Amino acid sequence: MQNRLFNTAILLSSLTYSCVADTDVDGLAESITNQMEHFNKVATTTKQNEHYQPYIISVFEGKELEKLGISNLKEALSLVPGVDMATDNVNTQTPIFRGSNPLSYGQSKLFIDGVLVNNVFFDAYPEYLSFPIEMIKRIEVTRGSGSKTDGVNAYAGSIHVITYAEDFEGFESSDKMVLKYGSYDYRMGGFIKTYKTEDFKIFVDFFTQEDNKKLPAGFDGLSQGVLSMPGIDNRALSRSGDAPLWLKEYSLGANLEYKDFSIKARVHEHKKGSAYGINLALPQESDRVKLPNYYLELGYNKEIGNYDIEVKGGVKYDTFDSKSKLLPDGLTFIDMYQYDTLGTISPVVFTNGIYGEHLAKQRTLYQSSYLKYNGIYGHRLTAGYRFVKEETIEMTSKLSNWSTGLPEPYDYTQTYPFFDADAKRNAVTFSLQDEFLLNDGLSFIYGFNYEQTSYEDAGLDPRISMVYQFNSDNIFKTIYSSSHRNSSWQEMFTKNNHARVGGTNLEPEKVDAFEVAYIKKFSSDTYLQTNLFYLLNKDQIHNSSANPQYENVVDTDIYGFEVEYKGYISSADQLYLNYSFVKGRSEIGDDGTSQSLPNVANHLIKGYYIYNINSRLSLSGITKYVGSKERALGDVREDAEDYLTVDAALQYRDKKHDYKVTLSLKNIFDTDVAYPSSPKTYYEDYAQENRSFLIALAKEF
Amino acid sequence: MKKILLLLFMFINLAYGYTYDNLLLKAQASIFPKIIMLDKKLESKLVDGKIIYTIVYEKDDYETALEVEKFIDEKYNGHLNDYLYKINLVEFSNLSKETKTSAIYSLNSEKQIKKVAEVAQQKGVVTFSYDIDNLKNGLLFSLVLEKSTVLYCNKNNLHSQDISFVDSLYRIVKFIESKSDIQKKLYNDIPLFNSYKTVVAGL
Repeated sequence: MQNRLFNTAILLSSLTYSCVADTDVDGLAESITNQMEHFNKVATTTKQNEHYQPYIISVFEGKELEKLGISNLKEALSLVPGVDMATDNVNTQTPIFRGSNPLSYGQSKLFIDGVLVNNVFFDAYPEYLSFPIEMIKRIEVTRGSGSKTDGVNAYAGSIHVITYAEDFEGFESSDKMVLKYGSYDYRMGGFIKTYKTEDFKIFVDFFTQEDNKKLPAGFDGLSQGVLSMPGIDNRALSRSGDAPLWLKEYSLGANLEYKDFSIKARVHEHKKGSAYGINLALPQESDRVKLPNYYLELGYNKEIGNYDIEVKGGVKYDTFDSKSKLLPDGLTFIDMYQYDTLGTISPVVFTNGIYGEHLAKQRTLYQSSYLKYNGIYGHRLTAGYRFVKEETIEMTSKLSNWSTGLPEPYDYTQTYPFFDADAKRNAVTFSLQDEFLLNDGLSFIYGFNYEQTSYEDAGLDPRISMVYQFNSDNIFKTIYSSSHRNSSWQEMFTKNNHARVGGTNLEPEKVDAFEVAYIKKFSSDTYLQTNLFYLLNKDQIHNSSANPQYENVVDTDIYGFEVEYKGYISSADQLYLNYSFVKGRSEIGDDGTSQSLPNVANHLIKGYYIYNINSRLSLSGITKYVGSKERALGDVREDAEDYLTVDAALQYRDKKHDYKVTLSLKNIFDTDVAYPSSPKTYYEDYAQENRSFLIALAKEF
Repeated sequence: MKKILLLLFMFINLAYGYTYDNLLLKAQASIFPKIIMLDKKLESKLVDGKIIYTIVYEKDDYETALEVEKFIDEKYNGHLNDYLYKINLVEFSNLSKETKTSAIYSLNSEKQIKKVAEVAQQKGVVTFSYDIDNLKNGLLFSLVLEKSTVLYCNKNNLHSQDISFVDSLYRIVKFIESKSDIQKKLYNDIPLFNSYKTVVAGL
């Protein structure tokens, strides 16, 4: 009854007013609707309404990370639920999502402003993990294979780095200059600058950074029998010392927009120490690996009525370029060139060691077109394709002379290359997707990617997800998705290497993922998100020191859950905490061998707390716990130890002059932080950090 | 495991207070002043011919209140259509029946929201809330960034004789009828074929 009266009152009231209403009032109401749509677009693009999206996502704001004293992308990713880090002997660091194949690469994809930047050689992105946080506006991390993005299959997760090139009406970014100094003689300088007129915008970011980091490595791989064989024992040549982990890097990015056209470009030069050595012998301090990564993408985006057309085309160059002393003075070995080409055995002594120069430069050309259609009520249809052509365009392979043992690099590019100079692969992916909003509370996304390549096809990868919003405080999600990872260049085209034997007949790794999530929102910015996942991984690519040939021999079932809480204790603080549990079992080969997930921490706990002492000063702390990790089968070492680190940061922000100074102390208790080394390589795990400090000064204009 | 338990222990049983989301503040600063213009009895609420938009805040939130003021000024530059407006920042403790105002925007407070509602009711002015939860304590409008941007209005708080809006506003708000509805947020009887953009739930 009360309702009826109320409704009648409103109706009468409206009728009365409609007699006197003028166009201003109608215009105002329309303007409110338009603004709501504008903010809805901003919220969706910036993942502000992440909890209503059909995937499991965590979003970190750059400015908040700066407050915490986070220095770069890698440190930021270490806060993500279910994400751990792994590395290898050349310090190719890669995030591991939910324990998925930690000794492999390409498990996740990195996008910078929407451009896929994984290098072709490793299908990884270690060159971008040092990307300074001051250049990053926001990081969106989608866990699980449900993170398909316009024809790109993310196997275990995807990371979207959004720079300050992004802007919306009313949310323009300021220009900025940054200077940083820290432990390991770390120095960084950079700026971002935007110039904008009505139709045209250009955004530029630039930074340069370097350090001279080196950390104790223990005895190198020679002590474990690397380069030893019956009749030849080089173990006595093993050395211990510091691994050169230094970094020299600069990066120049530009985003241009003119009406419906856009250009995104970056020149990213990344040079680092040779770490633990390509051949597992400690390299010289000046030995280096270069991983330059350049891209240029042209885009066209146009809305015409109910249609949204998005066309992109681009080129990306990435290179693996190593120059290093590979093995120590006095090494005795057999002439591998002669052995592999003629089958005869001839010992050779390298009195002055073995030096190597390896370069493989890849070019990726891609083009994609997508059409989105909103004309059917409650539906948003997307259809399109993405075509990718990858190829090696330059390769050199130089090594000390196998037959004479002289140290000067001899050109084996034609005769005994480390890599296939003619490596190439084409792939085309067709996508069809429907976002279906059944009603206010229930929405679905369903569709598929279908991929064909010039090697083994992945075929069809379907996906269906449902978001049920019981109300704005209680949200449920269920997701089923299938995805795949094509084998990396290294797994396919490595040649003349007795530790890694590539093969072009590898099947793509496949994963079927089942996920459910529940989100409880306590207020507009306080929430608890929890999700369960079950991942069925098939045909995972694996090799070992016993069998160096890369093969699809591992099937792994993984299950676990993640809990994430963000909130506050008082009006002056912020609290973030997550816990991840993962467990699983791998079946290796057809012989029935199985083991629980090796090199994976079953427990991860991460959190931070920010206390705003006043409007200018904040104090914060980060704590991370990484559980112990079981070793792989046949590895007799004790489990990799768990560790707990604590960081603290103090930030002073002067709003009047728009600058801020952040002082941070990392790993305050100097805990040993190490990532597992592969069996029979380095006995010690790969050390990552000591106690360190960082000072950052950022000034906005 | 001991370390895990220690960490969990550190973070359990935490109460929560409030912080502010910049995007939501901007959205509200942009939209709420326009809603005032749709009040049919606005003329009677002008103070010296001006719209007085009062932002009430706890002492700790003064910076946030200043930011909201800045957002509004950047957007409207002193004018709401043909009316001049003035923004007053008032601490919750200083708000009273004597406070001259045409509309009130309330930031968060643990104990003072009911007082804001009472003052607004006595004066017959429109109230806006940063947090939707405060509608259950008598405030009128809130804006939330859900799957889409939703403008909520507490139907029970509309009964004041001094508040009446044009019909076009009623087409873009979602009504919340009662305390329990705030908890259920409208979806007990999901209307399968309702427009998700313009639904007026509860009517």
